[in-house]
Amino acid sequence: MIELVRRVVREEPDRLALVTGRATLDYADLLAAALRVAAVLRADGITRFAVADFEADVVLPCLLGASATGAEACILPPDDAATVADLVARFGHEVVLTDRTDLDLPATRLVPTSAWLTPELQAADAELQAVDAELQAVDAARPHLVLTTGTTGKPRGVRQDWARLVRSTARVADGRGERWLLAYGLHQFAGLQILLHTMAAGATLVAPAPRRPREGLAAMRTYDVTHASATPTYWRFLLAELRSDGGPVPALQQITLGGEAAPGPVLDQLRATFATANLSHVYAASEFGATGSTRDGRPGLPIEVLERGDDADIAMKVVDGELWVRSRIGMLGYHGEPEVDPDTWRATGDLVEVVDGRILFRGRASEIINVGGVKVHPLPIEETVAAVPGVAVARVFGRPNAMTGAIVAVEVVPEPDADPDAVKAAVRDACAGLPAAARPRSVRIVDAVQTAGDKIVRRTGEQ
Amino acid sequence: MSTTPADVERTVVDFLTRLEKLPAEFDATTPLYADGVGLDSLETAELSALLEDEHGSDPFSTGDLPQTLAEIQAFYAPVGA
Repeated sequence: MIELVRRVVREEPDRLALVTGRATLDYADLLAAALRVAAVLRADGITRFAVADFEADVVLPCLLGASATGAEACILPPDDAATVADLVARFGHEVVLTDRTDLDLPATRLVPTSAWLTPELQAADAELQAVDAELQAVDAARPHLVLTTGTTGKPRGVRQDWARLVRSTARVADGRGERWLLAYGLHQFAGLQILLHTMAAGATLVAPAPRRPREGLAAMRTYDVTHASATPTYWRFLLAELRSDGGPVPALQQITLGGEAAPGPVLDQLRATFATANLSHVYAASEFGATGSTRDGRPGLPIEVLERGDDADIAMKVVDGELWVRSRIGMLGYHGEPEVDPDTWRATGDLVEVVDGRILFRGRASEIINVGGVKVHPLPIEETVAAVPGVAVARVFGRPNAMTGAIVAVEVVPEPDADPDAVKAAVRDACAGLPAAARPRSVRIVDAVQTAGDKIVRRTGEQ
Repeated sequence: MSTTPADVERTVVDFLTRLEKLPAEFDATTPLYADGVGLDSLETAELSALLEDEHGSDPFSTGDLPQTLAEIQAFYAPVGA
């Protein structure tokens, strides 16, 4: 991955690489910081480490430095101390780079970020160039560990290979002048994708912290962001923020959605709000990588993706209403498990339906609500509710019930000026025509809906 | 969360009114199912969720199937009352 940065440095070393709320790095700065990390990793014989830090000016050099030396890095999510301790133990990390003072990890070597990243404590430029030359001659595996967001259970460790990840950027066009918002954490696979795309394009990464829609909107305005990629849930909240604060609409050129099915109403709202932006969505996952980008602005995938043939890096098929993928640019395997065969077909857990030449997403298999023996998909109901005037965000999920096993429940975050009782009544009216089992039997007004990794959690029982 | 008989009655009556299933002669002894109010299983499940939201617990989740408003009110009555 570091080669992507070297390439820009050779062309234009002072091109802006990273902007955060506290730091600005050009590509030469970024390469130097990465080489400092690499030098420390090699000197200390570190082949595996975790990072408990959210700031991109810390995480990015660590990822680059690790990819250069072949050390396996793992960026931990910004969770509470107990969760971080659990993850460190479960994934056997002996070295953790962090400035957090709340972590109690007695069996782990905690390294302050200054030890790896403070320039004056590190090698001089000439030494770094020597390190760089040595690293370029290294022919080793380039592993990376990504933790899943845990929307379907406990996070799993997905072992990636930087060479495969970089291969997916082969067709990225020159993007100098583009400013990409980092709306995901760099601990997420989607965050890595944005990072890889930005570096491959030679563009600038704008990384506010924390990565909430409010901060994202502020960063768009402050740093003239031109491109942004986020989940539909993130975009829903950003649109709500935009309506609420009444400030200027950022002049985005490109809007990308991923991580969840992209509902038609969200696409319509984005199109209406950001009139000059191109709209696309990506279908990707930690396990199988990115399948490509759909740029026609319509929900779902074109049916042609099912006809890619045996030579394609990624092929897809539909089996019993579920999307299956065969990926040669996907993960090496799960942490602690044998490597997977890249020619093996795997079920994605995404339920789909082919309608008029389009593969439409109907929800996750794990999200199906069993209402008295009737299987109900929450996503179409959620789309119906989200389209009701006065609804800012909606979440549909299965609520356990002694009578029927589960009922369809909906939580609604209303628009700021909406009357909650009127919104509840309107939601019920909008759903009155649904089959009886699919009709929401519990409608609640809430301040926020439960999310994980900026995706709405819809598992039965998650209230 | 209030669980007085009057508040529980208000929850049930408002619910039946919304469903347009409130009998003209409804009282605490009117059967909730079949020839009484005529709640089906999904409507009963909805009522149980509503009672839990409004009053913190509901009699259906204990495995019982209250037959009337009076039996629902009895569930919320203080022990020994």
